[in-house]
Formats: sequence, C-alpha cells, structure tokens
Amino acid sequence: MATQTLHFHDRVDTALHDETLKTALERATTRFVGNRAGAIDALEDADGLRRQARALRANALSKLDELLVRLADQVEARGGKVCWAADGEAARRYIVDLARDRGVKSIVKSKSMASEEIHLNHALEHAGFEVVETDLGEYIIQLAGETPSHIIAPAIHKTREQVSALFEKHLGMTPTTEVPPMIRAARTALRQRFLQAEMGISGVNFGVADTGAIAIVENEGNARLSTTVPRIHVAIMGIERIVERFDDLAVMLQVLARSATGQKLSVYTSIISGPARPDEADGPEEFHLVLLDNGRSRILGGQYVESLMCIRCGACLNACPVYQAIGGHAYGGVYSGPIGAILTPLLQPDLPDAYLLPQASSLCGACQEVCPVGIAIPDMLLRLRADAVKAGKAHPVETAGIKSYALMMKNPLVYRAGGRAARLGSRLIGRKGRIRHLPPPLHLWTHGRDFPQPQGSQSFSEWWEERQKKGRTQ
Amino acid sequence: MSREQMLATLRTSLASNRAWLEAEAHKASHTPPPFVLPPADDLAAQFAAELTKLEGRVYQVADNEEALETLATLLEERQATTAVAWDLAEIGLPGLDKLLAERGVQVLEPVVRDEVRKAQLQVLEPAPVCLSGAEFAIAESGSLVLYHGPGRPRLASLLAPAHIAVIRSDQIVRGLGEAMARLRERYAGTLFDVTSNLTLISGPSRTADIEMTLSLGIHGPPELHVVLVQTP
Ligand code: SF4
Repeated sequence: MATQTLHFHDRVDTALHDETLKTALERATTRFVGNRAGAIDALEDADGLRRQARALRANALSKLDELLVRLADQVEARGGKVCWAADGEAARRYIVDLARDRGVKSIVKSKSMASEEIHLNHALEHAGFEVVETDLGEYIIQLAGETPSHIIAPAIHKTREQVSALFEKHLGMTPTTEVPPMIRAARTALRQRFLQAEMGISGVNFGVADTGAIAIVENEGNARLSTTVPRIHVAIMGIERIVERFDDLAVMLQVLARSATGQKLSVYTSIISGPARPDEADGPEEFHLVLLDNGRSRILGGQYVESLMCIRCGACLNACPVYQAIGGHAYGGVYSGPIGAILTPLLQPDLPDAYLLPQASSLCGACQEVCPVGIAIPDMLLRLRADAVKAGKAHPVETAGIKSYALMMKNPLVYRAGGRAARLGSRLIGRKGRIRHLPPPLHLWTHGRDFPQPQGSQSFSEWWEERQKKGRTQ
Repeated sequence: MSREQMLATLRTSLASNRAWLEAEAHKASHTPPPFVLPPADDLAAQFAAELTKLEGRVYQVADNEEALETLATLLEERQATTAVAWDLAEIGLPGLDKLLAERGVQVLEPVVRDEVRKAQLQVLEPAPVCLSGAEFAIAESGSLVLYHGPGRPRLASLLAPAHIAVIRSDQIVRGLGEAMARLRERYAGTLFDVTSNLTLISGPSRTADIEMTLSLGIHGPPELHVVLVQTP
C-alpha cells in the first residue's frame, strides 16, 4: 500500500472510510487499553515503578556516550563486532556488505522498528537477498505487500479471510476460516526458513552497558529462533535504547510488558551477549551490533530530548482518540500515534508532510497519562506546532489555536476552564455521540469526518478511565 | 563515520541537556523492587497459578520418584523416541538417564556449529520434546529463568512442540528484581563469560496477530510443562 505517496489529510480520509480498519482498530485498542489498565492497577506501587523507569531512562541518556562505549567494548571483547552507524545509509551498507562477504542467501528477521526506519528490507532485497519477516503479523503484511497498522499488532487491519487467501496463495494452504490451521501453516513454512537462513536480523529493546548485553522481548519465539539458529546474528539498536545496569532491566522489562499488552512479562526475554562461546552447543558464530544514530544525537541536544526516553510500548497509541480513529498507516512514517507524531518530524524531517503530524492530536493528555516513562507528549506536540509556524511551513489557519492551547497547557486553571468550555462546545456541535468538528487547528482535517465525542459532562480523563474499565472486562 | 566521530557528535549534543537529564535521573531510586505485587504466602502455588493462567502446565510433585513418573507420562503421551535436551546432569534429576534409556528415548544434544550446522538442525527438528532445567522460577509472573551455556543449549527449550522443564521449589523467587539480584550475586562479573544467553520464559509461544485471536505455538513450543519438585 503506497500510503506514503498520499498527502497526510488524504491518508486520514482513507483510514476513516475503511470500515474493516475501523472495526479492527477498535477491537485492538480497546483490548490493549483494558489489559494495560488491569496490569498497572495490580501493581503495589505503580507510580513508584513509573518514576523509577523514567529516572533510569534519564540516567542512561545523561551518560549515553560513556554507556555506549562500555557496551561496545564488551561486545568486542567477547568476539562480537560493532558498527557505529551515523545514519541509515551507513547501517544498510554495513549489513549488505556483511551478507555479501559471508555468502549469505537467505535472511530471517524478527521485528525491529529501527530496521523499518532505515528501510533495510528494501536495501537487502535490492541487493538480491531473500528476506523473510518472521513475526506473524509482519509476515502477513510482507506477503500482502503492505505496512504495519499497529506497533504491537501490525496486521490487525487484515481479516482472517484475507489471511487465509494470502496463505492459500503463498503457502498452498487449504482455505479456512479457523485460526489454528493458519497458525500451523505459518509455523511450518517459517520453520524451514529459519533452518535454511544464514543470517538472522533482530532489533534491540534494551542495550545493557554494564554487562555488555542486549535484551530482546517477544511473545512468538521468532526472535529466539532468529538469534539462535542462523550462523550470523545482526542486532540493530537505536543508540538511545540503553540502560546502565543489568538490574535496571528488572524495572524496564516489567513496565514495558505491562504497558504494551498488559502481560506481567513478555513470553520470551532473550538477554544476549556476543556470539556463542567456544563451549556452547548452539547460538550464532558471529554477532554484530549496529548502533544507529540517524538523527538521534540531534534530538539529544535539543528541546525534544525527552522523546528519547521512549521504550516503544505503544500505550500512547492505544490511548489516543486520534490513533483509534485513523490507525498507523495514516501517519505515513514508521512511528505512529502520539509519539510517532513527535519522532517522525524529528527523525524524518524530509517527509513532505511530517510537520502536519503534531496536529493529529486533540491534546487530551491521555498519552502522557499512560506513558510508562511519563513523557510530556502534549507539551512537545505543541512546541512542534509552533516550530512549524516559525519555519513558515504550517498553514496560517491550522495554527490559529496554538496560542490558546499553549496558554491552557501552561496554566492548569485556564486548562480546566478551557476543558469545560470545550465540552460545552462539543455538546453543541456533536450529534449521535460523534464530534462533527474539532476546535482549530484540528477542525481543518476533521472536515467532513466524525470523531468520538467525550461523553456527557465528563472530562477526557474521566471518559478514558471509564473506557479502560470497560475494556478490562472484555 | 567512525566511532570517535559519532561519539564526538553525541558529546556535543549531550552537553546542552546533560544537567537536565541528571536532575531527572535523581528523582527516583535506581534500585529495582525485588517484587511488584502484594506478597503471596506460598510461592510454589503462586508460580503454578500464574503459569497456568498463561496456558502452561505445572505438575507439583512430592519427590524425585513422582517427578520421574510424571515425565514418563508426558513422554508416553507424546510417543517420544527422541528429545532435544540439556546435559542430563545439568537438569539435576537423579534417575532421568535411566528413565530415558528404559523408554528408548534418544537424547539429542545439539551441536549446531560450523559446517554441520544446517544438517544438525534438520536432525533435531523432528524431535517431539525439549527437556531442560532452569536457574530460577519467578512466582509473580510464572516465569522460568534459563541460564544457557555449556551443557545447556538454547534449542532445548525452543525447537520442539513441547518443552518440559524440571525445577525444584527452592529455586522459586518472588519477583523479577529478586531473580536478577540473585543472578548478579551468583555470577558477579562472570555472568556472560562462558555463556552468551540468558532467557526468561513466561508461558508457551503465543500470538494474537490474526484478528486479536489468541493462538499458541506460532514459533516456540505450543506446550510448556513444568515439573515442580517439592524440596524438603
Ligand atoms: S511515548 Fe511512552 S507510551 Fe508512547 S510508546 Fe513511548 S514509552 Fe510507550
């Protein structure tokens, strides 16, 4: 699906008119929101854990230079290789050259946002390698030639009938509407891919400086297979994805799993340090760690540094009323939802309409409320809007509301008063529980489109809380 | 660009925000809590309950003999004639070697290296069961901590459709924080000297990628059986 070639507003329009997507998004986000809320409520000290997670991320970023050196030195001391990739091109070149040099034919990949960010698959396929995405959702959309619609569930926009048709065409599966036979067909087909592959490529959830390791979390086992079975393992890590100490993982792994899917821990957490040692019976003989900057050091020195604390849990996406309505494709970049609206313009400033993404928010604050590291997302979205105006990019009418929003965000009293006024306003303009028009600047791209209306006289946060409770019982 | 150039760019950038980041870093303790849920009285029961919720099976047995009987049943049900396994000594269940020999179960110890790698993988692939021990079990999350290494191959908890693990009740800790602190105490700076991999397993392989429908065993074992032997 060539969503990137459309203008942002058109992508939003396409998404809002896709009934299958709408149903799928509602099912997925409601479930994720409910599961997360249940998992966070169960904690003895949820707030304490969240403050710890934030402190640990800040700590790691504050000494990022030193920690990367510690990680890299230990990886090398254990026989691994480290590629310092300033941009996507450097990372792509390193991996393509490596695959060529080692006579690789077939490559298995487990989910990695960083590799999507640098369009690694395209480069590898272009160079003649066979690349298979092995996460089931990623595999489905690879077969369909599409892009992920959700960070945690990339293929939610596909119905079981569509999946069955894809598997029939590509795997020779007998058509079915039952999910288990589809799972078996995918397992069998992908298992042979694993056994044949010479190279496995993975992402990294956390680099661990003091032990020289990387941690990868997943539920399917495809990351374990990708990092164990092929002769060569290449891990791609955004340079910010690091913690200082092994023990920090005890906090980060738990907040990540609980925030992402409501699990206590993901099914599999692999903590990997270098290639297999001489006395180990299995594991890769070569280990390569690609440390990817690609704009991150620029963010590190600027006013959006907090966005580098993100652990890609997806909670802010699920909580966001805009994301719930339009899904991931509409954002056009690799990262979607509230955090994507910040990261995409910062990491991919060349995308023609990236500057519009920060407007894909009603600034309701639900994202920051659920963020396990408390990133001030609405505040940053506001500043990015202001940046776009200063740079002369944003349409004058699109920016009309910015000043009053800025005032509201700075001053809680005004914010609350403003919230009341907005509720009153949406009651006036809303019909059948949908908002017909949003206040500026959102009104422009909601022209002719419906949005869920905050119910009754509740505030957004009250409304979401209720929604979360509703979701939990499902 | 070289490592030094990339680090130089980083340091320049960091200079403007380092103070703020350090201040944020000091706003909370960095020591992880040993556990995160309200304490339970019986860790073995908590572990069993949590893993069961994740679709794993836990067999709480009184002694080694009962553990062997349970294993015999599990192997019988799966008509196992081969198993991808750890060194039996590493599993630490006396009598296991005898049981496997009696039942005609051939133990496949993976040697997946060098030129024989792909051929070896094809030999291991048809095995119906994986057999392993574990370093710890975590009660709160129903997790196993597998410290892989010599004699403890990773494939012995990954490849086959059923993974059977044997642990003892004194290996159960309350939470992840406690498990990690104990690992650090036990191995100090040597954690990754002779091994390259540590894996936490919380239930069988799962996915919800087709219409958010939960399905087991997409890549890893669809079945996880834990034989939990009571320590006196
Ligand atoms: S910004 Fe926060 S909530 Fe959103 S993905 Fe990142 S860590 Fe999760």
